Amino acid sequence: MKLQQSILDLDFSKVEMKIERFIKDYLEKSEAKGVVLGLSGGVDSCTTAALSALAIGGNKVLGLLLPEQETHNITDMDHAKLVAKKFGFKTQMIDITSTLETYYTAIPIFDPNEKLWKGNIKARTRMVYIYYYANKLNMLVCGTSNKSETMMGYFTKWGDIAVDISPMMDLYKTQVRKLAQQINVPKEIAIKPASPTLWLGQLAERELGVKYETLDLILYGLEHFMKPEEIAHQLGIEEALVKKIKRRWLFMEHKRRMPLTTKIQYRTIGADFRLSRTFH
Amino acid sequence: MREKIKIALAQISCEQGDKTENIRKMEREVTKAKQQGAELVIFPELSLTGYTVRDQIFELAEIIPGHSTTILEQIARKTGAYIIFGMPELSRNTKATIHNTAVIVSPEGFVGKYRKMYLPTHSVFEEKRYFRPGYQPIVFETKLGKIGLIICYDIFFPEVSRLMRLKGAQLLVCISASPSTRRTFFEILTTARAIENTVFLAYVNLVGIEDGLQFWGGSRLIGPNGKVLVRTEYNKEDLKIGEVDYTDIRPIETFVPLLKDLRPDLFDKLKETAEKL
Repeated sequence: MKLQQSILDLDFSKVEMKIERFIKDYLEKSEAKGVVLGLSGGVDSCTTAALSALAIGGNKVLGLLLPEQETHNITDMDHAKLVAKKFGFKTQMIDITSTLETYYTAIPIFDPNEKLWKGNIKARTRMVYIYYYANKLNMLVCGTSNKSETMMGYFTKWGDIAVDISPMMDLYKTQVRKLAQQINVPKEIAIKPASPTLWLGQLAERELGVKYETLDLILYGLEHFMKPEEIAHQLGIEEALVKKIKRRWLFMEHKRRMPLTTKIQYRTIGADFRLSRTFH
Repeated sequence: MREKIKIALAQISCEQGDKTENIRKMEREVTKAKQQGAELVIFPELSLTGYTVRDQIFELAEIIPGHSTTILEQIARKTGAYIIFGMPELSRNTKATIHNTAVIVSPEGFVGKYRKMYLPTHSVFEEKRYFRPGYQPIVFETKLGKIGLIICYDIFFPEVSRLMRLKGAQLLVCISASPSTRRTFFEILTTARAIENTVFLAYVNLVGIEDGLQFWGGSRLIGPNGKVLVRTEYNKEDLKIGEVDYTDIRPIETFVPLLKDLRPDLFDKLKETAEKL
Protein backbone atom coordinates (compact mmCIF):
# COMPACT_ATOMS: atom_id res chain seq x y z
CA MET A 1 0.00 0.00 0.00
CA LYS A 2 1.38 3.39 -0.99
CA LEU A 3 0.72 6.08 1.60
CA GLN A 4 -0.01 9.25 -0.34
CA GLN A 5 -2.67 11.93 -0.13
CA SER A 6 -4.73 10.31 -2.90
CA ILE A 7 -5.27 7.24 -0.71
CA LEU A 8 -7.56 9.40 1.42
CA ASP A 9 -9.70 10.35 -1.58
CA LEU A 10 -13.31 9.29 -1.32
CA ASP A 11 -16.33 9.90 -3.49
CA PHE A 12 -17.49 12.79 -1.32
CA SER A 13 -20.90 13.05 -2.95
CA LYS A 14 -21.52 9.47 -1.79
CA VAL A 15 -20.08 10.24 1.63
CA GLU A 16 -22.43 13.19 1.89
CA MET A 17 -25.42 11.00 1.00
CA LYS A 18 -24.40 8.33 3.50
CA ILE A 19 -24.03 10.79 6.35
CA GLU A 20 -27.28 12.55 5.56
CA ARG A 21 -29.14 9.23 5.36
CA PHE A 22 -27.61 8.21 8.67
CA ILE A 23 -28.69 11.41 10.47
CA LYS A 24 -32.21 11.28 9.01
CA ASP A 25 -32.68 7.59 9.75
CA TYR A 26 -31.41 7.81 13.32
CA LEU A 27 -33.56 10.84 14.04
CA GLU A 28 -36.68 9.12 12.69
CA LYS A 29 -36.02 5.97 14.71
CA SER A 30 -35.37 7.96 17.88
CA GLU A 31 -38.58 9.95 17.38
CA ALA A 32 -36.75 13.10 18.48
CA LYS A 33 -37.67 16.45 16.98
CA GLY A 34 -34.27 17.46 15.68
CA VAL A 35 -30.61 17.78 16.55
CA VAL A 36 -28.74 20.27 18.68
CA LEU A 37 -25.01 20.73 18.43
CA GLY A 38 -22.27 22.95 19.72
CA LEU A 39 -21.25 25.34 16.96
CA SER A 40 -17.74 26.71 17.42
CA GLY A 41 -17.33 28.14 13.94
CA GLY A 42 -14.68 25.52 13.10
CA VAL A 43 -14.83 23.23 10.11
CA ASP A 44 -16.04 20.17 12.04
CA SER A 45 -19.05 21.73 13.72
CA CYS A 46 -19.97 23.90 10.72
CA THR A 47 -19.88 20.89 8.38
CA THR A 48 -21.84 18.67 10.76
CA ALA A 49 -24.48 21.35 11.23
CA ALA A 50 -24.70 21.91 7.48
CA LEU A 51 -25.05 18.17 6.81
CA SER A 52 -27.73 17.94 9.48
CA ALA A 53 -29.66 20.77 7.88
CA LEU A 54 -29.35 19.14 4.45
CA ALA A 55 -30.51 15.82 5.93
CA ILE A 56 -33.49 16.86 8.04
CA GLY A 57 -34.13 20.54 7.22
CA GLY A 58 -32.70 23.59 8.93
CA ASN A 59 -35.79 24.08 11.09
CA LYS A 60 -34.87 20.86 12.93
CA VAL A 61 -31.27 21.88 13.60
CA LEU A 62 -30.14 24.12 16.43
CA GLY A 63 -26.56 25.30 16.69
CA LEU A 64 -25.52 26.57 20.12
CA LEU A 65 -22.78 29.18 20.10
CA LEU A 66 -21.20 28.97 23.54
CA PRO A 67 -18.41 31.55 23.75
CA GLU A 68 -16.55 32.54 26.89
CA GLN A 69 -14.42 35.53 27.67
CA GLU A 70 -10.94 33.99 27.54
CA THR A 71 -11.20 32.47 24.08
CA HIS A 72 -13.89 34.64 22.52
CA ASN A 73 -13.15 34.97 18.83
CA ILE A 74 -15.37 37.18 16.69
CA THR A 75 -14.26 35.53 13.44
CA ASP A 76 -15.34 32.11 14.70
CA MET A 77 -18.72 33.46 15.76
CA ASP A 78 -19.12 35.14 12.37
CA HIS A 79 -18.26 31.87 10.64
CA ALA A 80 -20.86 30.03 12.70
CA LYS A 81 -23.53 32.58 11.81
CA LEU A 82 -22.50 32.54 8.16
CA VAL A 83 -22.98 28.78 7.90
CA ALA A 84 -26.26 28.96 9.80
CA LYS A 85 -27.56 31.55 7.34
CA LYS A 86 -26.33 29.68 4.29
CA PHE A 87 -27.82 26.33 5.36
CA GLY A 88 -30.89 27.79 7.04
CA PHE A 89 -30.62 26.40 10.55
CA LYS A 90 -31.30 28.10 13.87
CA THR A 91 -28.66 29.31 16.30
CA GLN A 92 -28.59 30.62 19.81
CA MET A 93 -25.64 32.32 21.47
CA ILE A 94 -25.10 31.97 25.21
CA ASP A 95 -22.07 33.41 26.94
CA ILE A 96 -20.91 30.75 29.41
CA THR A 97 -18.29 32.90 31.17
CA SER A 98 -20.24 33.38 34.40
CA THR A 99 -20.97 29.64 34.69
CA LEU A 100 -17.29 28.84 34.24
CA GLU A 101 -16.26 31.43 36.81
CA THR A 102 -18.67 29.87 39.27
CA TYR A 103 -16.94 26.52 38.77
CA TYR A 104 -13.51 28.08 39.16
CA THR A 105 -14.45 29.60 42.51
CA ALA A 106 -16.56 26.66 43.71
CA ILE A 107 -13.95 23.95 43.24
CA PRO A 108 -11.73 24.09 46.36
CA ILE A 109 -8.66 22.67 44.60
CA PHE A 110 -9.09 24.65 41.38
CA ASP A 111 -5.73 25.56 39.84
CA PRO A 112 -5.95 28.40 37.28
CA ASN A 113 -2.49 27.59 35.96
CA GLU A 114 -3.49 24.14 34.71
CA LYS A 115 -4.76 25.03 31.26
CA LEU A 116 -5.89 21.55 30.27
CA TRP A 117 -7.97 20.79 33.35
CA LYS A 118 -9.52 24.22 33.14
CA GLY A 119 -10.16 23.69 29.44
CA ASN A 120 -11.91 20.42 30.22
CA ILE A 121 -14.32 22.31 32.48
CA LYS A 122 -15.18 24.46 29.48
CA ALA A 123 -15.85 21.47 27.20
CA ARG A 124 -17.93 19.70 29.88
CA THR A 125 -19.87 22.86 30.66
CA ARG A 126 -20.74 23.21 26.98
CA MET A 127 -21.94 19.59 27.08
CA VAL A 128 -24.24 20.42 30.01
CA TYR A 129 -25.80 23.32 28.09
CA ILE A 130 -26.22 21.29 24.92
CA TYR A 131 -27.84 18.37 26.73
CA TYR A 132 -30.19 20.69 28.58
CA TYR A 133 -31.42 22.04 25.25
CA ALA A 134 -31.70 18.51 23.90
CA ASN A 135 -33.80 17.40 26.89
CA LYS A 136 -35.99 20.46 26.88
CA LEU A 137 -36.61 20.46 23.11
CA ASN A 138 -36.68 16.66 22.68
CA MET A 139 -33.70 16.75 20.36
CA LEU A 140 -30.64 14.56 19.87
CA VAL A 141 -27.15 15.81 20.57
CA CYS A 142 -25.14 15.57 17.39
CA GLY A 143 -21.40 15.24 17.80
CA THR A 144 -18.88 16.90 15.52
CA SER A 145 -15.80 14.73 16.14
CA ASN A 146 -13.58 13.52 13.33
CA LYS A 147 -11.59 10.30 13.10
CA SER A 148 -8.12 11.87 13.45
CA GLU A 149 -8.83 13.59 16.74
CA THR A 150 -10.91 10.70 18.08
CA MET A 151 -8.12 8.23 17.37
CA MET A 152 -5.64 10.59 19.03
CA GLY A 153 -7.88 11.05 22.07
CA TYR A 154 -7.68 14.75 21.30
CA PHE A 155 -10.93 15.65 23.00
CA THR A 156 -12.35 16.04 26.48
CA LYS A 157 -13.61 12.81 28.04
CA TRP A 158 -17.34 13.28 28.74
CA GLY A 159 -17.08 16.72 27.12
CA ASP A 160 -17.25 17.30 23.37
CA ILE A 161 -17.35 13.51 22.82
CA ALA A 162 -20.52 13.13 24.95
CA VAL A 163 -23.19 12.97 22.26
CA ASP A 164 -25.93 10.75 20.87
CA ILE A 165 -24.60 10.36 17.35
CA SER A 166 -21.35 11.33 15.73
CA PRO A 167 -21.92 11.35 11.97
CA MET A 168 -18.41 12.31 10.84
CA MET A 169 -16.38 10.15 13.19
CA ASP A 170 -15.26 7.83 10.41
CA LEU A 171 -13.69 10.67 8.41
CA TYR A 172 -10.13 11.89 8.92
CA LYS A 173 -9.68 15.63 9.38
CA THR A 174 -8.38 16.22 5.85
CA GLN A 175 -11.40 14.32 4.54
CA VAL A 176 -13.72 16.52 6.59
CA ARG A 177 -12.19 19.55 4.91
CA LYS A 178 -12.91 18.01 1.50
CA LEU A 179 -16.44 17.09 2.50
CA ALA A 180 -16.94 20.68 3.67
CA GLN A 181 -15.99 21.89 0.22
CA GLN A 182 -18.23 19.27 -1.40
CA ILE A 183 -21.28 20.72 0.35
CA ASN A 184 -20.13 24.33 -0.17
CA VAL A 185 -19.23 25.28 3.37
CA PRO A 186 -17.40 28.60 2.79
CA LYS A 187 -13.74 28.00 1.97
CA GLU A 188 -12.39 30.24 4.73
CA ILE A 189 -14.03 27.86 7.22
CA ALA A 190 -13.03 24.67 5.40
CA ILE A 191 -9.32 25.49 5.41
CA LYS A 192 -8.79 27.45 8.60
CA PRO A 193 -6.45 26.01 11.25
CA ALA A 194 -8.20 23.76 13.76
CA SER A 195 -8.44 24.64 17.44
CA PRO A 196 -10.47 23.20 20.31
CA THR A 197 -10.40 26.80 21.73
CA LEU A 198 -10.00 25.67 25.30
CA TRP A 199 -7.48 28.47 25.81
CA LEU A 200 -6.28 31.45 23.83
CA GLY A 201 -4.05 30.69 20.87
CA GLN A 202 -4.49 26.92 21.15
CA LEU A 203 -3.78 25.22 17.82
CA ALA A 204 -4.49 21.54 17.22
CA GLU A 205 -1.56 20.83 14.91
CA ARG A 206 0.91 22.47 17.31
CA GLU A 207 -0.40 20.35 20.19
CA LEU A 208 -0.51 17.14 18.21
CA GLY A 209 2.99 17.85 16.95
CA VAL A 210 2.22 17.00 13.35
CA LYS A 211 0.32 18.43 10.36
CA TYR A 212 -3.06 16.83 9.69
CA GLU A 213 -1.91 15.88 6.18
CA THR A 214 0.81 13.71 7.73
CA LEU A 215 -1.16 12.60 10.78
CA ASP A 216 -4.01 11.30 8.63
CA LEU A 217 -1.66 9.20 6.53
CA ILE A 218 -0.01 7.81 9.66
CA LEU A 219 -3.39 6.93 11.14
CA TYR A 220 -4.55 5.45 7.84
CA GLY A 221 -1.48 3.24 7.85
CA LEU A 222 -2.13 2.16 11.45
CA GLU A 223 -5.79 1.51 10.61
CA HIS A 224 -4.57 -0.81 7.86
CA PHE A 225 -2.20 -2.69 10.19
CA MET A 226 0.98 -1.20 8.69
CA LYS A 227 4.11 -1.31 10.84
CA PRO A 228 5.44 2.04 12.17
CA GLU A 229 8.79 1.56 10.41
CA GLU A 230 7.05 1.06 7.07
CA ILE A 231 4.84 4.13 7.61
CA ALA A 232 7.86 6.24 8.60
CA HIS A 233 9.86 4.97 5.63
CA GLN A 234 7.11 5.73 3.14
CA LEU A 235 6.37 9.19 4.50
CA GLY A 236 10.03 10.09 5.02
CA ILE A 237 9.51 10.93 8.70
CA GLU A 238 11.05 9.83 11.98
CA GLU A 239 9.95 6.38 13.13
CA ALA A 240 9.81 7.77 16.68
CA LEU A 241 7.00 10.13 15.65
CA VAL A 242 4.92 7.29 14.20
CA LYS A 243 5.54 5.16 17.30
CA LYS A 244 4.52 8.06 19.53
CA ILE A 245 1.27 8.48 17.59
CA LYS A 246 0.60 4.75 17.73
CA ARG A 247 1.15 4.66 21.48
CA ARG A 248 -1.16 7.64 21.97
CA TRP A 249 -3.87 6.05 19.78
CA LEU A 250 -3.78 2.81 21.80
CA PHE A 251 -3.45 4.49 25.18
CA MET A 252 -6.50 6.68 24.57
CA GLU A 253 -8.93 3.79 24.05
CA HIS A 254 -10.30 4.40 27.57
CA LYS A 255 -11.64 7.77 26.35
CA ARG A 256 -13.58 6.13 23.55
CA ARG A 257 -15.39 3.46 25.54
CA MET A 258 -17.89 3.00 28.32
CA PRO A 259 -16.12 2.48 31.68
CA LEU A 260 -14.41 -0.87 32.17
CA THR A 261 -15.61 -3.23 34.85
CA THR A 262 -14.41 -6.63 35.97
CA LYS A 263 -16.38 -9.67 34.92
CA ILE A 264 -18.40 -11.21 37.72
CA GLN A 265 -21.66 -12.44 36.28
CA TYR A 266 -23.26 -14.17 33.29
CA ARG A 267 -23.35 -11.21 30.91
CA THR A 268 -21.40 -8.03 31.55
CA ILE A 269 -21.94 -4.46 30.36
CA GLY A 270 -19.27 -3.45 27.89
CA ALA A 271 -18.01 -7.03 27.53
CA ASP A 272 -20.46 -9.73 26.48
CA PHE A 273 -23.72 -7.84 26.64
CA ARG A 274 -23.95 -7.31 22.89
CA LEU A 275 -27.08 -5.44 22.06
CA SER A 276 -28.17 -3.54 19.01
CA ARG A 277 -27.88 0.24 19.26
CA THR A 278 -31.07 0.88 17.33
CA PHE A 279 -33.25 -1.87 18.75
CA HIS A 280 -36.82 -0.83 19.53
CA MET B 1 -42.38 -27.97 -14.43
CA ARG B 2 -42.78 -24.44 -15.77
CA GLU B 3 -40.43 -22.96 -18.37
CA LYS B 4 -41.16 -19.34 -17.62
CA ILE B 5 -41.73 -17.80 -14.22
CA LYS B 6 -42.02 -14.30 -12.86
CA ILE B 7 -39.93 -13.40 -9.85
CA ALA B 8 -40.29 -10.44 -7.50
CA LEU B 9 -37.22 -8.95 -5.87
CA ALA B 10 -38.73 -7.62 -2.65
CA GLN B 11 -36.03 -5.29 -1.36
CA ILE B 12 -37.16 -4.17 2.08
CA SER B 13 -35.76 -2.59 5.20
CA CYS B 14 -36.56 -4.37 8.46
CA GLU B 15 -37.58 -3.33 11.93
CA GLN B 16 -34.81 -4.74 14.08
CA GLY B 17 -36.24 -7.44 16.32
CA ASP B 18 -39.88 -6.84 15.35
CA LYS B 19 -41.11 -10.02 13.69
CA THR B 20 -44.75 -8.93 13.66
CA GLU B 21 -43.99 -5.73 11.77
CA ASN B 22 -41.64 -7.48 9.36
CA ILE B 23 -44.22 -10.17 8.57
CA ARG B 24 -46.80 -7.43 8.02
CA LYS B 25 -44.46 -5.77 5.56
CA MET B 26 -43.76 -9.07 3.82
CA GLU B 27 -47.46 -9.76 3.41
CA ARG B 28 -47.96 -6.30 1.91
CA GLU B 29 -45.10 -6.84 -0.54
CA VAL B 30 -46.23 -10.34 -1.53
CA THR B 31 -49.74 -9.05 -2.24
CA LYS B 32 -48.35 -6.20 -4.32
CA ALA B 33 -45.97 -8.51 -6.19
CA LYS B 34 -48.71 -11.04 -6.89
CA GLN B 35 -50.89 -8.29 -8.35
CA GLN B 36 -48.03 -7.59 -10.73
CA GLY B 37 -47.90 -11.23 -11.79
CA ALA B 38 -45.06 -12.53 -9.62
CA GLU B 39 -45.15 -16.20 -8.68
CA LEU B 40 -42.08 -16.17 -6.45
CA VAL B 41 -41.34 -13.33 -4.04
CA ILE B 42 -37.88 -13.12 -2.52
CA PHE B 43 -36.92 -11.19 0.64
CA PRO B 44 -33.45 -10.45 2.08
CA GLU B 45 -31.35 -12.39 4.58
CA LEU B 46 -32.80 -12.49 8.13
CA SER B 47 -35.73 -10.43 6.88
CA LEU B 48 -37.95 -11.82 9.63
CA THR B 49 -35.90 -10.12 12.35
CA GLY B 50 -33.53 -7.65 10.72
CA TYR B 51 -29.83 -8.45 10.36
CA THR B 52 -28.27 -6.64 13.31
CA VAL B 53 -30.08 -7.98 16.37
CA ARG B 54 -26.97 -9.29 18.13
CA ASP B 55 -27.79 -11.03 21.47
CA GLN B 56 -31.52 -10.70 20.80
CA ILE B 57 -31.07 -13.50 18.29
CA PHE B 58 -31.31 -15.98 21.18
CA GLU B 59 -34.85 -14.81 21.89
CA LEU B 60 -35.88 -14.37 18.27
CA ALA B 61 -34.77 -17.71 16.79
CA GLU B 62 -37.51 -20.24 16.03
CA ILE B 63 -37.80 -23.85 15.05
CA ILE B 64 -38.53 -24.42 11.36
CA PRO B 65 -41.27 -25.24 10.48
CA GLY B 66 -42.70 -23.24 13.34
CA HIS B 67 -44.72 -20.22 14.33
CA SER B 68 -43.44 -17.68 11.80
CA THR B 69 -43.07 -20.09 8.90
CA THR B 70 -46.69 -21.11 9.45
CA ILE B 71 -47.77 -17.48 9.08
CA LEU B 72 -45.70 -17.16 5.91
CA GLU B 73 -47.27 -20.39 4.61
CA GLN B 74 -50.69 -18.84 5.20
CA ILE B 75 -49.64 -15.74 3.26
CA ALA B 76 -48.37 -17.98 0.45
CA ARG B 77 -51.66 -19.87 0.43
CA LYS B 78 -53.74 -16.72 0.50
CA THR B 79 -51.82 -14.99 -2.29
CA GLY B 80 -50.88 -18.05 -4.34
CA ALA B 81 -47.20 -17.06 -4.38
CA TYR B 82 -44.02 -18.85 -3.42
CA ILE B 83 -42.03 -16.92 -0.80
CA ILE B 84 -38.36 -17.06 0.12
CA PHE B 85 -37.17 -15.19 3.21
CA GLY B 86 -34.51 -15.37 5.89
CA MET B 87 -34.74 -16.01 9.64
CA PRO B 88 -32.75 -17.23 12.63
CA GLU B 89 -33.49 -20.92 13.10
CA LEU B 90 -33.38 -22.70 16.44
CA SER B 91 -32.30 -26.30 15.97
CA ARG B 92 -35.19 -28.71 16.53
CA ASN B 93 -32.76 -31.33 17.78
CA THR B 94 -30.58 -29.41 20.20
CA LYS B 95 -32.99 -26.56 21.10
CA ALA B 96 -29.83 -24.60 21.79
CA THR B 97 -28.02 -23.94 18.53
CA ILE B 98 -28.99 -21.34 15.96
CA HIS B 99 -28.59 -21.20 12.19
CA ASN B 100 -28.85 -18.35 9.70
CA THR B 101 -31.49 -19.91 7.47
CA ALA B 102 -33.33 -19.27 4.22
CA VAL B 103 -36.87 -20.66 4.03
CA ILE B 104 -39.06 -21.41 1.04
CA VAL B 105 -42.82 -21.77 1.38
CA SER B 106 -45.43 -22.31 -1.33
CA PRO B 107 -49.21 -22.10 -1.67
CA GLU B 108 -49.16 -25.81 -0.82
CA GLY B 109 -47.19 -25.26 2.37
CA PHE B 110 -43.63 -25.55 3.66
CA VAL B 111 -41.11 -26.51 0.96
CA GLY B 112 -37.74 -26.46 2.69
CA LYS B 113 -34.88 -24.57 4.22
CA TYR B 114 -31.19 -23.92 3.66
CA ARG B 115 -28.69 -23.12 6.42
CA LYS B 116 -25.95 -20.63 5.57
CA MET B 117 -22.64 -22.45 5.18
CA TYR B 118 -20.18 -19.56 5.33
CA LEU B 119 -20.61 -17.29 8.34
CA PRO B 120 -18.63 -14.05 8.11
CA THR B 121 -16.86 -13.23 11.35
CA HIS B 122 -14.57 -10.36 10.53
CA SER B 123 -14.83 -6.58 10.18
CA VAL B 124 -18.34 -5.67 11.36
CA PHE B 125 -19.65 -9.23 11.06
CA GLU B 126 -19.96 -11.54 14.04
CA GLU B 127 -22.02 -14.44 12.70
CA LYS B 128 -19.91 -17.30 14.07
CA ARG B 129 -20.52 -15.89 17.52
CA TYR B 130 -24.21 -16.65 17.09
CA PHE B 131 -24.72 -19.21 14.35
CA ARG B 132 -23.71 -22.77 13.66
CA PRO B 133 -22.94 -23.26 9.96
CA GLY B 134 -25.03 -25.42 7.67
CA TYR B 135 -23.54 -28.38 5.84
CA GLN B 136 -26.09 -29.18 3.15
CA PRO B 137 -26.30 -27.55 -0.25
CA ILE B 138 -29.86 -28.39 -1.27
CA VAL B 139 -31.84 -27.96 -4.45
CA PHE B 140 -35.61 -27.81 -4.18
CA GLU B 141 -37.71 -29.28 -6.97
CA THR B 142 -40.73 -27.03 -7.18
CA LYS B 143 -43.42 -26.20 -9.66
CA LEU B 144 -41.43 -23.07 -10.40
CA GLY B 145 -38.28 -24.98 -11.29
CA LYS B 146 -35.26 -26.38 -9.47
CA ILE B 147 -34.19 -23.75 -6.98
CA GLY B 148 -30.94 -23.59 -5.02
CA LEU B 149 -30.67 -21.24 -2.06
CA ILE B 150 -27.54 -19.50 -0.83
CA ILE B 151 -27.08 -16.72 1.70
CA CYS B 152 -24.90 -13.63 1.29
CA TYR B 153 -21.26 -14.54 2.12
CA ASP B 154 -21.80 -18.02 0.57
CA ILE B 155 -21.50 -16.30 -2.80
CA PHE B 156 -17.78 -15.63 -2.19
CA PHE B 157 -17.22 -19.40 -2.27
CA PRO B 158 -17.97 -20.63 -5.80
CA GLU B 159 -18.17 -24.26 -4.76
CA VAL B 160 -21.53 -23.73 -3.00
CA SER B 161 -23.23 -22.40 -6.11
CA ARG B 162 -21.43 -24.97 -8.23
CA LEU B 163 -22.67 -27.86 -6.11
CA MET B 164 -26.23 -26.63 -6.39
CA ARG B 165 -25.93 -26.23 -10.13
CA LEU B 166 -24.50 -29.72 -10.46
CA LYS B 167 -27.44 -30.99 -8.41
CA GLY B 168 -29.65 -29.50 -11.12
CA ALA B 169 -30.49 -25.99 -9.93
CA GLN B 170 -31.80 -23.76 -12.70
CA LEU B 171 -32.29 -20.77 -10.46
CA LEU B 172 -29.93 -19.77 -7.67
CA VAL B 173 -31.45 -17.47 -5.10
CA CYS B 174 -29.03 -15.48 -2.96
CA ILE B 175 -30.60 -13.60 -0.07
CA SER B 176 -28.31 -11.03 1.45
CA ALA B 177 -27.66 -8.33 4.04
CA SER B 178 -24.69 -6.59 2.50
CA PRO B 179 -23.50 -3.21 3.77
CA SER B 180 -22.48 -0.61 1.23
CA THR B 181 -18.73 -1.05 1.72
CA ARG B 182 -19.13 -4.49 0.06
CA ARG B 183 -21.22 -3.41 -2.91
CA THR B 184 -18.52 -3.83 -5.57
CA PHE B 185 -17.81 -7.41 -4.51
CA PHE B 186 -21.43 -8.44 -4.77
CA GLU B 187 -22.04 -6.69 -8.07
CA ILE B 188 -19.18 -8.69 -9.56
CA LEU B 189 -19.74 -12.00 -7.79
CA THR B 190 -23.48 -12.26 -8.54
CA THR B 191 -22.71 -11.95 -12.25
CA ALA B 192 -19.75 -14.34 -11.99
CA ARG B 193 -21.78 -17.07 -10.24
CA ALA B 194 -24.49 -16.82 -12.94
CA ILE B 195 -21.99 -16.97 -15.83
CA GLU B 196 -19.73 -19.73 -14.50
CA ASN B 197 -22.70 -21.98 -13.78
CA THR B 198 -24.90 -20.94 -16.73
CA VAL B 199 -27.75 -20.44 -14.34
CA PHE B 200 -30.29 -17.76 -13.45
CA LEU B 201 -29.42 -15.95 -10.26
CA ALA B 202 -31.72 -13.78 -8.18
CA TYR B 203 -29.95 -11.63 -5.60
CA VAL B 204 -32.04 -9.80 -3.02
CA ASN B 205 -30.32 -7.46 -0.60
CA LEU B 206 -31.49 -5.58 2.45
CA VAL B 207 -31.83 -1.79 2.60
CA GLY B 208 -32.00 0.60 5.52
CA ILE B 209 -29.58 1.36 8.33
CA GLU B 210 -29.00 -0.93 11.30
CA ASP B 211 -26.50 0.12 13.96
CA GLY B 212 -24.78 2.47 11.52
CA LEU B 213 -24.49 -0.19 8.81
CA GLN B 214 -26.04 1.02 5.58
CA PHE B 215 -27.35 -1.78 3.38
CA TRP B 216 -27.17 -0.86 -0.28
CA GLY B 217 -29.98 -2.79 -1.94
CA GLY B 218 -29.25 -3.13 -5.65
CA SER B 219 -31.06 -6.49 -5.87
CA ARG B 220 -31.00 -8.09 -9.28
CA LEU B 221 -32.06 -10.94 -11.50
CA ILE B 222 -29.21 -12.13 -13.71
CA GLY B 223 -29.45 -14.36 -16.75
CA PRO B 224 -27.17 -17.36 -17.43
CA ASN B 225 -25.09 -15.18 -19.76
CA GLY B 226 -24.45 -12.65 -16.98
CA LYS B 227 -26.91 -10.08 -18.25
CA VAL B 228 -28.71 -8.14 -15.52
CA LEU B 229 -32.36 -8.64 -16.48
CA VAL B 230 -33.83 -6.42 -13.82
CA ARG B 231 -32.40 -4.41 -10.93
CA THR B 232 -33.91 -2.60 -7.99
CA GLU B 233 -32.95 0.85 -6.72
CA TYR B 234 -29.90 1.42 -4.58
CA ASN B 235 -30.36 2.40 -0.92
CA LYS B 236 -34.15 2.41 -0.80
CA GLU B 237 -37.00 -0.03 -0.61
CA ASP B 238 -38.11 -1.28 -3.99
CA LEU B 239 -40.03 -4.08 -5.64
CA LYS B 240 -39.16 -5.21 -9.16
CA ILE B 241 -40.48 -8.12 -11.19
CA GLY B 242 -38.36 -10.04 -13.67
CA GLU B 243 -39.02 -13.01 -15.89
CA VAL B 244 -36.98 -16.18 -16.05
CA ASP B 245 -37.13 -18.38 -19.15
CA TYR B 246 -35.35 -21.63 -18.34
CA THR B 247 -35.09 -22.50 -22.03
CA ASP B 248 -32.41 -19.77 -22.26
CA ILE B 249 -29.99 -21.91 -20.28
CA ARG B 250 -29.27 -24.56 -22.87
CA PRO B 251 -28.27 -22.33 -25.80
CA ILE B 252 -25.98 -20.35 -23.51
CA GLU B 253 -24.37 -23.50 -22.12
CA THR B 254 -23.89 -24.63 -25.73
CA PHE B 255 -22.26 -21.29 -26.62
CA VAL B 256 -19.99 -21.21 -23.55
CA PRO B 257 -19.94 -24.82 -22.32
CA LEU B 258 -18.73 -24.24 -18.78
CA LEU B 259 -20.38 -27.27 -17.29
CA LYS B 260 -19.23 -29.54 -20.11
CA ASP B 261 -15.65 -28.40 -19.55
CA LEU B 262 -15.59 -28.93 -15.79
CA ARG B 263 -12.53 -30.84 -14.57
CA PRO B 264 -13.45 -32.95 -11.52
CA ASP B 265 -9.83 -34.11 -11.17
CA LEU B 266 -8.92 -30.57 -10.14
CA PHE B 267 -11.41 -30.70 -7.28
CA ASP B 268 -9.38 -33.45 -5.58
CA LYS B 269 -6.24 -31.34 -5.94
CA LEU B 270 -8.12 -28.35 -4.62
CA LYS B 271 -9.15 -30.31 -1.55
CA GLU B 272 -5.63 -31.64 -0.93
CA THR B 273 -4.10 -28.19 -1.30
CA ALA B 274 -6.71 -26.41 0.79
CA GLU B 275 -6.21 -28.87 3.65
CA LYS B 276 -2.53 -27.96 3.76
CA LEU B 277 -3.07 -24.19 3.62
